[in-house]
Amino acid sequence: MKNIQKSTKTETDQMEAPDNPQNEDEGAKQSKDSKRKANGTASDDGVLRPVKLSKKEMYKAPTVEELSQLKEAETLFHCSILKMQMEEMLKEVALSEHRKKLVDSFVQQVTDYLQCVPETEVVELDDISWLIGVEVPVVFVPPKAKGRFHMEPPASVDLVGSYPLGTCIKPKVCVDLAVTIPASVFHRLDAINQRYPRKRALYLAGLARHLAFAEFVGSLNYSCLHGNRLRPVLLLKPPGKDSSKVTLRIHAIPPPDFLKPGRFHPQKNNIRTEWFTGVANTQQNSSEPPTPYYNSTVLGDLLPLSHLQFLSAISAQCPSFGEGVALLKVWLRQRELDQGAGCFCGFHASMLMAYLLSTHKVGKTMNPYQLLRNAIHFLASTDLTENGITLAKNPDSKAPSLPEFHAAFSVVFVDPSGHLNLLAEMTAFTYKQIQHEASLSLKFWDDPTVEGFQTLLMTPKSILRTYDNVFKLVNLVKLQTSCKKLLLLNELMDHSGDYVLTALPFILSLLQRGLGERIHLLVHSLPQDPEWPVGSAPPKHKDQPPITIGLLLNFERAYSVLERGPPADSPKAAEFRQLWGSLSELRRFQDGGITEAVLWSGNSSSQKRSVPMQIITHLLNLHADIPRSCIIFVGEQLDMVIRLDKTNHTTGEEESLVVIQSYDDLSKKLWKLEGLPLSITSVQGAHQALRYTQVFPPVPVQLDYWFFDRKKGSLGLVPKESKPCPYYITPIKVIVHMEGSGKWPNEPKAISRVKAAFHICLSELLSKQHNLRCLVTPAYLDVWKDGLVFRIQVAYHREPQVLRESLTPVGMLIYRDNAEAQALELETMRKTFLTSTLHGLQQQYGSFGVVCRLAKRWLASQFLLEDIREDAADLLVASLFLHPAPFTTPSSPQVGFLRFLHLLSTFDWKNNPLIVNLGGKLTAAEHTEIKKDFVASRESLPAMFIATPNDKKVSVWTKEAPSVQMLQRAVMLAAESLRVLETQLDSIESQDMRVVFRPPLEAYDVLIHLISKQVPLFSKAVDPTTFTFSRGIFEEKASTSGALPVIGYDPVQLYLSELREAFGDLALFFNDPYGGTVIAVLWKPAAFEPKPFKASLMNARRVEMNGNVATTVPNVEAILQDFRIIGEGLVKSLELRTEKWVV
Amino acid sequence: MKMALSEDQHVCVIPGGFTVLSLRFSEDDAHAALHQLCVKEHRVRSESNTNRPLDRTLFVLNVPPYCSESVITDAFSRFGPIQSVELNEKPGACESSSEASNYFTAKRRQCFRVAYIIFKHPSSVKAAKCHPMNVPLIVSTADRPVKTGIRKWIQQYSDSLINAVSLQQDVDQFMNDYDRCKEEEAERRREEAEQQQEDEEGWVKVTKGKRGVKARPHSEAANERTLQKEEEKKERKELQNFYSWQHRNSQKEHIAELRKKFEEDKQRIAVLRAQRKFRPY
Repeated sequence: MKNIQKSTKTETDQMEAPDNPQNEDEGAKQSKDSKRKANGTASDDGVLRPVKLSKKEMYKAPTVEELSQLKEAETLFHCSILKMQMEEMLKEVALSEHRKKLVDSFVQQVTDYLQCVPETEVVELDDISWLIGVEVPVVFVPPKAKGRFHMEPPASVDLVGSYPLGTCIKPKVCVDLAVTIPASVFHRLDAINQRYPRKRALYLAGLARHLAFAEFVGSLNYSCLHGNRLRPVLLLKPPGKDSSKVTLRIHAIPPPDFLKPGRFHPQKNNIRTEWFTGVANTQQNSSEPPTPYYNSTVLGDLLPLSHLQFLSAISAQCPSFGEGVALLKVWLRQRELDQGAGCFCGFHASMLMAYLLSTHKVGKTMNPYQLLRNAIHFLASTDLTENGITLAKNPDSKAPSLPEFHAAFSVVFVDPSGHLNLLAEMTAFTYKQIQHEASLSLKFWDDPTVEGFQTLLMTPKSILRTYDNVFKLVNLVKLQTSCKKLLLLNELMDHSGDYVLTALPFILSLLQRGLGERIHLLVHSLPQDPEWPVGSAPPKHKDQPPITIGLLLNFERAYSVLERGPPADSPKAAEFRQLWGSLSELRRFQDGGITEAVLWSGNSSSQKRSVPMQIITHLLNLHADIPRSCIIFVGEQLDMVIRLDKTNHTTGEEESLVVIQSYDDLSKKLWKLEGLPLSITSVQGAHQALRYTQVFPPVPVQLDYWFFDRKKGSLGLVPKESKPCPYYITPIKVIVHMEGSGKWPNEPKAISRVKAAFHICLSELLSKQHNLRCLVTPAYLDVWKDGLVFRIQVAYHREPQVLRESLTPVGMLIYRDNAEAQALELETMRKTFLTSTLHGLQQQYGSFGVVCRLAKRWLASQFLLEDIREDAADLLVASLFLHPAPFTTPSSPQVGFLRFLHLLSTFDWKNNPLIVNLGGKLTAAEHTEIKKDFVASRESLPAMFIATPNDKKVSVWTKEAPSVQMLQRAVMLAAESLRVLETQLDSIESQDMRVVFRPPLEAYDVLIHLISKQVPLFSKAVDPTTFTFSRGIFEEKASTSGALPVIGYDPVQLYLSELREAFGDLALFFNDPYGGTVIAVLWKPAAFEPKPFKASLMNARRVEMNGNVATTVPNVEAILQDFRIIGEGLVKSLELRTEKWVV
Repeated sequence: MKMALSEDQHVCVIPGGFTVLSLRFSEDDAHAALHQLCVKEHRVRSESNTNRPLDRTLFVLNVPPYCSESVITDAFSRFGPIQSVELNEKPGACESSSEASNYFTAKRRQCFRVAYIIFKHPSSVKAAKCHPMNVPLIVSTADRPVKTGIRKWIQQYSDSLINAVSLQQDVDQFMNDYDRCKEEEAERRREEAEQQQEDEEGWVKVTKGKRGVKARPHSEAANERTLQKEEEKKERKELQNFYSWQHRNSQKEHIAELRKKFEEDKQRIAVLRAQRKFRPY
């Protein structure tokens, strides 16, 4: 690889040095060509390299064409790459010529074949005996209808929809074929009482029966258009390997002049109640309810040909129409908005673009990129639920007016004829979702620091990953009863008995009312079009997959346990009581007001997170008769893996708060200490527990003194050999900076002595003035306070500088960076800064800490926490909150966790730095600067590069780890975990979230099983056992009298560090620090190759003689023996996976 | 491999002059796997370290982490009385720092090490080199058991609890020494400075000065600052876009910059295309 590069480079160099000026042009051209080649080879391995242009190439005279191209790129600035990316993507989704040929020939075959449908005898509508082997694609409610039917060859067969318009895109190539039913099949009054749809369905079944004999048809299925069960379609696929390449969708449509559009005014009735219910109407004079939905169904069938004509005329005027629509379709598809009932599909996208063109909101000469931007801008700024738009230039007198449309439908977009509302099926909630997405997209588009292309067009936004809370309605048959409860007979009739679509908008607005300010947005999944073979009966409404409902929470309000209503005497009180039923009570508040209120249960944050769920369950049960068993809440089970207190159901938020309060108190006491030789300049936390991100925050404890030995001189307790390992007490690190002074010595050794003296001094003062027990060591001071241990470390701000100083022989003072200085700086400055910054982030985004903790719990359980360390993991999560594009900041643990896995698994670590703009301090120019520096020195930078405002070039938190291999493994594990977790969350059966927290152990060579009583955090394991050990603590009130506890004693970590020190060259050791009882060992393959004997390479190896040459290999048996010896009393057994290696 | 057979015991010598000995952790485990220690008399071309007399020092490779100096002493005493044992991470010069304090020593890594064993008599080295391989040395004996695992860590923890008073004493002692050292140095400086002064008759004694230290303290940072100031001054004085060629040049630069960016973008796209990053789904 390198050789090739080099040779092309020398070639280039040679070509760049022609002396003859006349040859210059040619030379430059050639060199450019070869340059391109060189660039091509450079990108073969998928790594970006800094671009090097030769001088000549940079400064040659530009052509006019090039100049204009460059100018365009300059004016679009950061969008120039976006434009190029979009063009590339369009190439990917466009249909190839080959594919088009395939489609054309298939369409031709089908068209020819359809022309010769045999005629049948005239039969009653209910008689379907002539349809041998084929079912009718619609379930009709009610089942009986009058009328007569017969088959006849179609009047015409035409291509309609996206394919003839040129807006058809991959991957689901769907070609629409409209088959016009001859007029003789219909009767004048067929539009009433579903006779027309029945005949249409029968005609389609007739076609299906005919096509079943055709050889060129691979598979034959029914489906329905946009979830509307009255509009069945026939799906045809070619046989064999072409089957996935195209789907032909056959629509049966009425003859063009058969029905008068005026009959289908949204306020007219076309289904008689008497006929629908089967009950004779006693009140003769009562007017029939309008059936707008049914009307638009019929109208929709009437118009596809004229719509195609209209769109073709428009697209002929605008050359980039097709590509613009294609981009919009991709945008919609990534947001799951383009399929199912009430969708905004490709047809709507074309119509929208046509509207923008005809109203001159976009120009005819605009490029696809500008068309997309304007379309999204229009969607974001226009509320079609309030101000509908119409394409009709001069509608006839019978056409309904916009207010009439608004009265009948929630979203209004009138077609060119002026009669049909194109978005009749869409709920207001879906449109709000579109608007939300559009305004989000615009925001990210304008932000130069966001990778626009990725966020706009490349990132799929599934409901699970997008919305904070997701729940599912299963067992949809219950919606039938809710229709009754909500008194929706008329609407049910309008929807021809589809109770799911009937009830959905009402249920949603009920929830919207109930959740109110708790949420920003309420969205629902669009019921997908079912697909079933022509030989079987259509699926029933109740067999539909569950409906998913997503909430975008308003974090400030969402989890409040109190719903304060209007004052008792206000007229709104009755409304409030009606909504909440018996839960509404009169309450008196501290401000003196007496109001209606609802109080939800929830003491801990984990319980408060279930408040939206309580509200939903209550409202659905009260108003729609939907029992609790029909509602599945997604993701609350994740809390289990970070649960701390089983009785109070806390998941660590409260415990973190206790730690921080105790720390604040300590900090105050430190500041107030009297009698220190130098004053304190800062007290800063340097521990995860002080920024709410410790997986299991330390909990105050009281000691059982009988459990321990005591060290002489009342220095503290010591673990007993005979007892289980004592409770692990986490030392919480605090850095105390002392003021600078001339008295500080200038030598590292002396500085460490002075620091030790300060520790002693602090300990004396703390115990004297505040009666705190302390333990002094040279490096730190442990303070036992409120049942917690704080580890205070004194720092001197000039110490890293002193470590860097050295004198040259000529006496010049020079500064040279070294590992020691960096480590000290990391510990005393960077870590404290990170801790306070992330603490601030938690104040800003309340769910930051809990997401961090879930993420780290996962990393730990997958043995990755040694590689992607705590600080790096916190930064990764911080980036989810600071740069959520294309999402919004996560407000619940599970959605944050899902996005964490997504980020880890999909980010292009090789070619991009992850920029975490803490505090928003980085400007756009600095972003580019960081990226440029990164590309320029990629090879020497860590595999995972995280840049922050304080650290633009080094990535201090990932410098040591992960290695490329470990990062690759992390990416793989994250992708797999995400996949498994999402299927688990999506399934309606029992969901076991712990699956993704169980590491795969197949890959490892040796497993060292540990004795669980010596594993101090055993009770925190992913799969906790009911069996627990006494660990020498009482779980009651914490007290700090008596001797110091055993602090930070974890035999597993001691064992691991000894193993790594002894055998780090030969093997990797993995473990879950939170209660893992197994240490997984992976041999390093390179170390196992026989090496010639060397005095410097003999550690843990044995000598083998081959003739006269001595080689060494690892002494595996002795090493395994050593695993046991070093871990005596901790190791239970060794499990050797000898399939891959030999002892 | 030369095998000097004597009865059924054999000595294993490998090229490089090392004799392979074996090491067993405890005596009651007869079937346990053995570590191999490679021993050789200590021999270097120029030994500056007087602590390792060439004839009496045995060089040992591959000493397991649980063998401390005392363990080695016990195990090798069978070859003769031992004067001292030195354990290092790597073969070569002496690395043990001469730190007097118990509290301020860096923690030792628990890794495999090399040992330099200095016997009292040269004959012991030969005895060790002739030791048969199938008679292993023992680390942990009933009389002197070696603590590992939980017992060792508890001991370590217990040792880490120290008395503040003795720590204070240690610190005080060091600081006193340090202060005295500093004072002496200051004294010396003053004397040097005095020597540079004119005497009564106006003579100045010029010396080379000790260790080449210049009187004026200067640092790299200060040098750089001065250079930067010069640069800035130059830049301020320069006129931009004054002459027409300058204007032309700046335009050229601008186009070149755009070209570069364009090329960069093109490369980015090519990389992404190669990774099939343009498939939206």
